Amino acid sequence: MRRVVDLLLACCCMSFLVACTALPSAGGIPTVRLSDLRPLPATPPGEVAPLRVAVAAVISPRGNVESYTPLLSYLAAKLNRPVELVQRRTYAEVNDLVRKGQVDVAFVCTSAYVAGKQDFGMQLLVAPQVNGQTTYRSYLIVPIASPALSMADLRGKVFAFTDPMSLSGRAYPTSLVHRLGAEPETFFSRTFFTYSHDHAIRAVADGLADGAGVDGLVYEFALAQNPTLARQVKIIHRSPPFGIPPVVVGPDVRPQLRAALNDLLLSLQDAPEGRAILSSLGIDRFVPIEDTAYDNARHLTDGNSGT
Amino acid sequence: MVIRSASSVLRSFGDALSRKSATSLPTRAWALVSAVKLRIKILGMVLALVLILGGGVTLQVRATLSRTLMAQLQEESASLGHDLAARSTDPLLINDLYNILQLLRETQTNNPDVRYAFILDHDGRVVAHTFGSGFPADLVSANSVATDAHHRTTSIQTEDGVVWDTAVPIFDGKAGTARVGVAEARMRSTVASITTRLLLTTALVSLVGIIAAIFLTWLLTRPVRQLVEATEAVRSGDYSPRVRRWAGDELGELADAFNSMTADLARADAERQEREQMRAFYLRKIIGAQEEERKRIARELHDETGQALASVMVGLRNVEEAPSAEELHERLADLREVAAATLENVRRLALELRPSVLDDLGLAAAMRRYAADYMHRFNTQVDVQIVGLDRQRLAPELETAVYRIVQEALTNVAKYARATRISVLLERHDGQLTAIVEDNGCGFAAEQLLNTGALENRLGLYGMRERAELIGGTLAIESQTGYGTTVFVRVPVGEFHEIVPDTTRLPGM
Repeated sequence: MRRVVDLLLACCCMSFLVACTALPSAGGIPTVRLSDLRPLPATPPGEVAPLRVAVAAVISPRGNVESYTPLLSYLAAKLNRPVELVQRRTYAEVNDLVRKGQVDVAFVCTSAYVAGKQDFGMQLLVAPQVNGQTTYRSYLIVPIASPALSMADLRGKVFAFTDPMSLSGRAYPTSLVHRLGAEPETFFSRTFFTYSHDHAIRAVADGLADGAGVDGLVYEFALAQNPTLARQVKIIHRSPPFGIPPVVVGPDVRPQLRAALNDLLLSLQDAPEGRAILSSLGIDRFVPIEDTAYDNARHLTDGNSGT
Repeated sequence: MVIRSASSVLRSFGDALSRKSATSLPTRAWALVSAVKLRIKILGMVLALVLILGGGVTLQVRATLSRTLMAQLQEESASLGHDLAARSTDPLLINDLYNILQLLRETQTNNPDVRYAFILDHDGRVVAHTFGSGFPADLVSANSVATDAHHRTTSIQTEDGVVWDTAVPIFDGKAGTARVGVAEARMRSTVASITTRLLLTTALVSLVGIIAAIFLTWLLTRPVRQLVEATEAVRSGDYSPRVRRWAGDELGELADAFNSMTADLARADAERQEREQMRAFYLRKIIGAQEEERKRIARELHDETGQALASVMVGLRNVEEAPSAEELHERLADLREVAAATLENVRRLALELRPSVLDDLGLAAAMRRYAADYMHRFNTQVDVQIVGLDRQRLAPELETAVYRIVQEALTNVAKYARATRISVLLERHDGQLTAIVEDNGCGFAAEQLLNTGALENRLGLYGMRERAELIGGTLAIESQTGYGTTVFVRVPVGEFHEIVPDTTRLPGM
């Protein structure tokens, strides 16, 4: 009897053993102790300080990388030093980088230059020329099916701003609302920031917003890249021309670097690879520009700043 | 004391060892299995079936589940990696580290399997991670992905178990790499819990199986146990128990067979006991008859022989006192007559006690003489026919038995039958001796008397039958009231009873 019990017990044990066999596990795999935490190594200072180029989020960060990489590679080759692309969500953050000297050169928005010039002496380097112009406009766009014909028709709708500091994406549409004797916060049912112009176009195309003010240059460029957008959005208003978003340097930039950059950018269209670089950026070439080109923009933002 | 008991234990252990080595393993295994009770066998069968089935299913489910969940885990790791890479592109490009960290933490919060997540910039430096303070050494180098690849998932052994690490290039590697590690621990605990549940189910089913098996065994072994008990009772002499027929199966048939066997045994036992009783009674009767016979002989001797001898004594005195020679001669002649009568009496007495003629002359002669005597005494016609016995003698006990049976039969005829003719046939033929005694008397209801008659009345017949059976023969009685009686005796005389040539036969007798 006891033997039988032993036998049965052995049977049970066997079945349990069988059921508890180890799951298959990969052999020869790397071993890491996840609880063995160590401080991350400090970033070693580069042998040569890179040239840091900031690009304001006129278009989305991804689009910026695509567009600016050829130019930055060219600059790196010509200056014989690494070039680093620095992006930030807002214009204000980029202005901040320029002010602190954390970037050497920056592609900023018109109103950001106006503000930077006023705040800490941001200096113009060059300006892009598009279609022979150094000006651009703000477009008021709505979905293709929208019955709206002007800003007045967008009352009570959802409106997409690009950046709080943007001229074409915020300051100009706001001035239109002011002209109607209202404030954007009450005029629209809801507003939001997209932090880039291509996102604003997307927001209108996708019906997320009933209207948006966008950079005309970005709009034309986006339409050229993606023709289907023409079937999704339409322009109901064009602003008067403003000074084009410039290339700037900080107040403390070394004169030699400023001169070198100036020469490189202005002569870009003559370089063998220059055409491809400029076409990637969607511009004809870089030209010198005076601060007076931004007076009407300054006037517009001054008018807004009080309200 | 301790030493002695220890040594005895050792010795018995050694004995067991040598016994074990003497028998082969299969034999011992069979002995072990076959010695187990039926109950345990059925129980073992059910349990083994359930356990093998349960174990097999558990194993299969466990293996399939592990495989499926493992594949799912790898897919989850890859999909989370891609999600992370897509959502961290813009924040990474604009250096929004806080947003990236939020994203990583969200990924970990929303997916409990995620052990860690981190983002490398395009130079391979960790920009954000979920480890808090510090970062595990060698984790960065544990997995890597080419910038043009879709993703790469690999397993990493950690102290928390295996982690499936996926590396996904962000923005084609221009922005960096997203890494996410999905731990197997939860999957394993799921598998373990399902395994446990299956095993518990198996155990539960086993329990039910045990109960069912116990019930089944009780159902099956109940008739067998009853049979065993009844057999024990029969062995100790109690033929009364009858086993119940529970079902119409083989066990039911066995019960029927057992019951009829017990009934037969009971009948046989009753017969045996009756015979035993008869034998005892017969023995008492024999002893009594012996005493009776002695008394008769004593009386005979006293009354007849004593009286005769007393007459002889008186005659002798008379002879002494005879006055003349003539008278003397006359008295002597009387005396001789008295002596002769006395001698005749003594001879008759001796003959009745033991017919020496049987010893001296054999069955045939003794039979004829007895018949002649019987005719003389009872005045009944007796025809004796003897075939095949004249020149041979049979074994003495056989001759005595047959002689006595016939004598008893004839005595019975004289006592009860009121017959006028009796026929006695003795025939030896084909190694068998047949004796038939037939009368034309009143007859009797033979079957009734033999089965239900009073013991005393049956005793004579019983004695005849006993004698026949003692020498291996049979006795049958045919009788009907009013139609006479026939007694048949058949005795084998073949190889058992050597026929000896008759050497003692005297001429003229």
